Amino acid sequence: MKKGIINKIALATLLLMLAVLALGASGVGAQQAQVVGSDLGLKGKLGEAIAKAPVGTGKGQIDPDAPRGAFGIPGAPEINYLVAILWAIWVGWIFSTVGAFGGVMAGVGHMTVYGLGDWVKPFKNTAPQLNKLLTDSIRTSNQWLVGLSALLSTINYLKAKRLAWPLGLALGLGSIVGAVAIPALTGGKVSFSQYQGWFGLFVFVVGVVLLYETTPRGQASKKAAKEAARAFEQSIKEKKDEAAQGIIVTEWSLTNIKFSFFGVEFKFNPIWAFMGGVVIAAISAFIGVGGGFLYVPFLTSIVGLPMFVVAGTSAMAVLVSMMTSITTYITVAGAALDWGMIGVELIGVFIGSMIGPRTQKYIPDIWLKRLFVVLAFYVGLGYFSKGFFGKAWVPM
Amino acid sequence: MGLWELVDQVLIMFYKISGHPVFDYFLGTFLVALLAVVIGEFTISMVFLVNKNHLDRLNTRLADLQQLSLAALKLGDKKSYDACNKEANDAFGRAFFNMFGLSAAALWPAFFALAWMQQRFAGIGFPIPFTGLAVNYVFTFLICYILARMFFSRVKNRLPYFRGIHRMLMAYEENSSKS
Repeated sequence: MKKGIINKIALATLLLMLAVLALGASGVGAQQAQVVGSDLGLKGKLGEAIAKAPVGTGKGQIDPDAPRGAFGIPGAPEINYLVAILWAIWVGWIFSTVGAFGGVMAGVGHMTVYGLGDWVKPFKNTAPQLNKLLTDSIRTSNQWLVGLSALLSTINYLKAKRLAWPLGLALGLGSIVGAVAIPALTGGKVSFSQYQGWFGLFVFVVGVVLLYETTPRGQASKKAAKEAARAFEQSIKEKKDEAAQGIIVTEWSLTNIKFSFFGVEFKFNPIWAFMGGVVIAAISAFIGVGGGFLYVPFLTSIVGLPMFVVAGTSAMAVLVSMMTSITTYITVAGAALDWGMIGVELIGVFIGSMIGPRTQKYIPDIWLKRLFVVLAFYVGLGYFSKGFFGKAWVPM
Repeated sequence: MGLWELVDQVLIMFYKISGHPVFDYFLGTFLVALLAVVIGEFTISMVFLVNKNHLDRLNTRLADLQQLSLAALKLGDKKSYDACNKEANDAFGRAFFNMFGLSAAALWPAFFALAWMQQRFAGIGFPIPFTGLAVNYVFTFLICYILARMFFSRVKNRLPYFRGIHRMLMAYEENSSKS
């Protein structure tokens, strides 16, 4: 009897202990994941977002004890300087041989080659604020590279008096509106997946445009232009232009501005230029590219200006919109920058742009474009599917 | 000792010259900026020496097409004007991105200087008098960098290696602005 009571008490105690342990265990599971709780010495919004991120060594977690990687964040991919330089050499080579698509290639480097995309993505569920902030940082890093090229070009065109300032003013004002609006409206709100999807779509469209240029029809129109230019070149004797130099505005109104450039008169509608600036700067700021690819055809085809007025003016528009959107991303959205990463990229870019002209004569222009078309379709499709559908349709 | 630690030890010496913290910060930052300018100028000189012919060809092509398109416009030859414009589009793209190569060559050291300053001075704010606002190391570096560029542009034609490069660049810019 006595023994039976003891047994029952022992059994009850054991069951109670088990119950307590089970409750304890479920309590552990129910507890909120532990967060970093400190900015880990990182300033501004990045520090705030890091403090709210969960601690751990898994994906979508921050390990405060891990070595610091990109943007100074512990556990972030450490940029392998050799890989970074090699990629940047490729970017510089493409820049100087194809003559375009700098921001696009820089974006691919930041997202895929440097491993930032795969690292940032899992934070979508665990630390959304950090995910969006780092997306802005990637957008801003892409824009730095192109903004710098526009800076030097603009200075040179200013020296050469080749900036059509009334056009630059209308375009620049529009681009400021677009470059402030997009970072202010979307900064801190776009997840990495969404950005990757849109970037992929943009690259895909670029690929389609380039594919057209490589088709017999696109080539024919180009060939015709080349022949016409050559025929004209032979038909006139070269002589120095002795007409009035620089830009002289001859007529002003809200819908029509006339100016002469080296003695030849041009006119444009400033409202169109302004609207074009808004739209192009908005697209460029959202995707994180330069926009030269859009400014130049807009000014030559829609506004109808010659390349030599367009060249300097579009460089200035790119510069204005880049500086505006970079500043807005940093100040309003709090995007972080990795100065060392940009420095390494610049080294690679200048090496690549030195190699480019030397290899150019061995590879025909059309094959370079075809190579880029294949890349644009592959990368575009991969990013589009990965960003919007969560799974890449092509191996990447 | 890693390369970065070695660089850190060298650069921080610029900040210990007088013993007065504020003066030393600005003097040190100016010297770091000046070092970035000198290394950048040296790199850009290498690019010019290696790729001068290519840059010359690009600029000459652009200049020729400009003259042609303007001549076509004056003659009212719309077809030739469009053709020259289209041709110039490609030439411009290449010249633009070659310019990028040059700007990258000149500016890369500035970004490493900023990366180093970020590690050393990230948390320090410099109050702007009467505004209640403060700026950080990036702003102070930029000011010093511009001053260092201005200073170097005045003295480089007296320095042994840069004297020759300066002459070459001046001749190049003169040709570019004519084109």
